[in-house]
Amino acid sequence: MGVIGKNVAYYPGCSLEGAARAYDVSLRLVAKDLGLELDYLKDYNCCGAMESKNVTFWGTILMNARNMSLARKQGYEVIVAPCNGCSFSLQRAWYFLTTDNSVLTKTNALLREGGVDPLDVIPETYHALEWLYEEAGPEKIKEKTKKPLKGLKVANYYGCLYTRPHFYARTYSHAGGQDLDKDRPMRRATADDDEHPFFQNKLLEAAGATSVDFEPMHTQCCGGPHSLSDESVSEKFVMMILQNAKRNGADVIATECPLCHASLEMYRHRLMLKGVPDVDVPAVYFTQLLGLALGRSASEVKLKDNLSDPLPVLKRYGLA
Amino acid sequence: MAIHERGLVEQERIIKKDRIVIDGVDASGDWNLIILPRVINDYDLNFAKDIINHPQGKTINQCYQCAYCTASCPVHNYWDEKYNPRHFIYLARLGMLDELQKRADVIWRCVSCHKCTHRCPKGVLVEEVLKVIVNQMSKRGLIEEYPSKKFDKFFTESVIEYGRIEDGELLFGWMEKQGYSVMKDPILKKPIPFAGGLPDWLKSLAIKPLKGMNIDFLILNAKHMLIHPRTQNWNRFKQVLERVIREEGIMTH
Repeated sequence: MGVIGKNVAYYPGCSLEGAARAYDVSLRLVAKDLGLELDYLKDYNCCGAMESKNVTFWGTILMNARNMSLARKQGYEVIVAPCNGCSFSLQRAWYFLTTDNSVLTKTNALLREGGVDPLDVIPETYHALEWLYEEAGPEKIKEKTKKPLKGLKVANYYGCLYTRPHFYARTYSHAGGQDLDKDRPMRRATADDDEHPFFQNKLLEAAGATSVDFEPMHTQCCGGPHSLSDESVSEKFVMMILQNAKRNGADVIATECPLCHASLEMYRHRLMLKGVPDVDVPAVYFTQLLGLALGRSASEVKLKDNLSDPLPVLKRYGLA
Repeated sequence: MAIHERGLVEQERIIKKDRIVIDGVDASGDWNLIILPRVINDYDLNFAKDIINHPQGKTINQCYQCAYCTASCPVHNYWDEKYNPRHFIYLARLGMLDELQKRADVIWRCVSCHKCTHRCPKGVLVEEVLKVIVNQMSKRGLIEEYPSKKFDKFFTESVIEYGRIEDGELLFGWMEKQGYSVMKDPILKKPIPFAGGLPDWLKSLAIKPLKGMNIDFLILNAKHMLIHPRTQNWNRFKQVLERVIREEGIMTH
């Protein structure tokens, strides 16, 4: 048992209850197979993702404070979010609530007004990937693997906000700048490396897969909040990511964020329509791959939910 | 000014000569380029004050213009050189609003990847600061409504209304806002994904799942499109949220 402990609230976020159902289902299956418990945070609201924070500072802090307050009320100490956007939003709110006293005072007053308990302790947020790495870890996955992902070459895509920025995610920063803020609380109990994240590589390698060299595209932006409103930029970014993965020999691109996943799949489709070369790498959630390795079937991990059909590739390796 | 940022100087102020003689001395070669001086007489220092007074923009004065943010920025590196976070911070601190306004077509293009904030050696929350700059410009009418703000508002309105968002509604609702004609069923007025005047890529993307994707997945998403997922006990909180956002005044500008 790792340092995060058992008392975690699972905050799936809006996406995982709809378009990214496969991620939710496979994550819970993997957790179950590894002997971990995940309790839903009841009655949560949207975190505001990467969009709301651009038009309302207080509104976004308030939305996240409500979720934190619910987690405290339901008796949880930490929140686990599987989406980069959600974990970022919660960590961002954590940063402003802990470093700026006036923000905390105003937020608590507004929470009370809205019929929600004010915050006594501000719960921390971990990404589901960090949680799996800390609580189960590569050794346990190696031990429980029934059907190794032998020969499957995976490009591990982390996206932007999994380890960035260090102010919110509280990872170590290679660039420095951390010692400047003396009031800033310490690093989180477990956090991935900031510029060279490796948790997903290690987990999937433990399950038998081979990671391809994918730096620096593993943390390159996919267009994120602008994937619908600034299409040309997103298209170029996704093209760079997919081509880099393909040209480094990847069979699939493993994602850990429903927003990145959706953006990759959508623009993959558009790029393929346009006839752009080397963009046909399908995207799968890393939990889907882990689920397959732990002996679950393709239909159990909902591989048919993915728009960028990964089944033919996985069948080639006898995995689906 | 770093050599790769010479593009920040207006072309008409750069004079380049093959041969130049100053006071009888031949100064050709490396010294053949002159940037004409300019006089700045229109600036607004209150602009920087407004940014510093905002919890998001507090850190702007820690900036020492090293341009690590610009060097990290994917929009600067892969899309448009005009997008330059360091320069935006510089202009905002000096209050050179006319210069900022000249860059209104790119300044909203930040994709929130947070490489700038993460790598800043001085602890400036660069991404947050840039968003405050754009919002302040918007408040002062220096920038017209830009695409990403339209989407952000659309998204946030959905959150305020229901407490949660729904992907289908976001996608098709946004397409409708973009001016595409979305066909709707006559009773519930909900969009039909693969009909109407949608762009081709979206039509083919919507038809794709019909061949070989999980039926229950399609039913789930169709259900969500018909009955929007909601947060319970949301009403009282919603009123507070609406009031706070109205007071902030960015959504309405």
